[in-house]
Amino acid sequence: MNSGIDLQETFIDSLMGLGIPPGAAKAIWMPLPMFLIIIGATVGVLVVVWLERKISAAAQQRIGPEFAGPLGVLQAVADGIKLVFKEDIVPAKSDSILFTLGPVIVVIPVFLSFLVVPFGQNLVITDLNIGIFLWIALSSIAPIGLLMSGYASNNKYSLLGGLRAAAQSISYELPLALAVLAIAMMSNSLSTIDIVEQQSGYGILGWNVWRQPAGFLIFWISALAECERLPFDLPEAEEELVAGYQTEYSGMKFGLFYIGSYVNLILSSLLFAILYLGGWESPIPIELLGNLLGADETSPWLQVIDAALGITMTGLKAYFLIFLAILLRWTVPRVRIDQLLNLGWKFLLPVGLVNLLLTAGLKLAFPVAFGG
Amino acid sequence: MLKFLKQIGDYAKETVQSARYIGQGLAVTFDHMQRRPVTVQYPYEKLIPSERFRGRIHFEFDKCISCEVCVRVCPINLPVVDWEFDKANKKKKLKHYSIDFGVCIFCGNCVEYCPTNCLSMTEEYELSAYDRHELNYDNVALGRLPYKVTDDPMVTPLRELAYLPKGVTDPHDLPSGSRRAGQRPEEIVEQSSGS
Repeated sequence: MNSGIDLQETFIDSLMGLGIPPGAAKAIWMPLPMFLIIIGATVGVLVVVWLERKISAAAQQRIGPEFAGPLGVLQAVADGIKLVFKEDIVPAKSDSILFTLGPVIVVIPVFLSFLVVPFGQNLVITDLNIGIFLWIALSSIAPIGLLMSGYASNNKYSLLGGLRAAAQSISYELPLALAVLAIAMMSNSLSTIDIVEQQSGYGILGWNVWRQPAGFLIFWISALAECERLPFDLPEAEEELVAGYQTEYSGMKFGLFYIGSYVNLILSSLLFAILYLGGWESPIPIELLGNLLGADETSPWLQVIDAALGITMTGLKAYFLIFLAILLRWTVPRVRIDQLLNLGWKFLLPVGLVNLLLTAGLKLAFPVAFGG
Repeated sequence: MLKFLKQIGDYAKETVQSARYIGQGLAVTFDHMQRRPVTVQYPYEKLIPSERFRGRIHFEFDKCISCEVCVRVCPINLPVVDWEFDKANKKKKLKHYSIDFGVCIFCGNCVEYCPTNCLSMTEEYELSAYDRHELNYDNVALGRLPYKVTDDPMVTPLRELAYLPKGVTDPHDLPSGSRRAGQRPEEIVEQSSGS
């Protein structure tokens, strides 16, 4: 199997060529992709905030941000700078340590989860063999931070919001994990790379959406609930709880929550793209195009195009899903807390279990199509 | 067993139904994205106030006979009429007149009842000030003519909904010469005088 471009190896080799020992060369390489991902995620947040505001505006026949930069693309930057310079208020009689720790605990796991998001065969920070499991594990840390900040704010709305966030995250983690489990069963691996590779080869027809029609719906609903986006934004329901656990936050601590929620949305969309929409694979297999053009699979230009296409494809799929999430936001009303828990425990969980069972049965019956 | 299966079937049917409704809703939201924004971008675009708009009140000092009807019909007796009896002419002589627009509710009663029509409504609505006492207009300020949106070269005047052609809801990019639904006031006058 052709593995495409290996930037790490090339980089280390070139450094060793300059006379740097292999260990040091590797140490120099290591922070690069991390910084790249952090910067990528942050820029992604700006893009998503802009998209959210513009698409929301379009859906409501408004114009949206327009004057900060061309078409208002710098509006999010302006908002961010404002948040940085804002006074950082810690409310009276609050638990200041927990209050500060809360947003940190919410944000760090989200960024950490980018470790396992692949943008290409080798364009991933670490190819862990427990990749997708790492994401699920990390995503269950966030509610602790939410609960912490809700409790530490010394505010009834914050506490209620934190409790709701915890209840919601815990309830929807199970269907999410069940949906992912079915995927993992089909690809015989938890590694995100293996999951994408198992979908490759047949273009759009090979994607997991067709094999997991129920699974992808469960995953999407649960992912929306995990990201606390409408229709599941109960923890910060403005009309009921002011802003939920964010009520007492201002300045950059609020900014962290804000960034965290949007990065989480990007992450969920990316993982949805990886799990169900074939990750970096294009709808028409690239090998087919290469063969049509008569190009060698190992030729450098094809590999560069392949890598660029992979990143573009992953981004496109993720942004399509974000678009869908924004559209859903203005279509569906917020559910009540009892409806939310009903949906999670009485609908998604059993359906997820049935889906898992069916996948297992189909895997035994048709090992060709369902990854025997 | 059969009852249980029926329950499951009904539940599945309901689920499909609600999913279809959500799909319909998404289609509506998606359709809205192609429509032109109805936003009137205020300092650059302004709506032309309608004929019956009740804006800042205009006052003609010389017409006023100091009868104080405006004060009596005002819900809060707002207009301040400062007059003095001129013994030589045996007439009231108006010295000052003022209305505080920070308190006025623009009900138009004073305009309605003024016997000499010295009060009238204007189309001016941009009554903002840093100090609310600045809104207390004296007879000089009340006598100023309103600013017209259509005369301002910096502003794109936009028509209100009732002044748009039939079926049009967007005031932007109207073809020139397009007229509102129904007859214009002068046409109605002409018709009634003709018959």
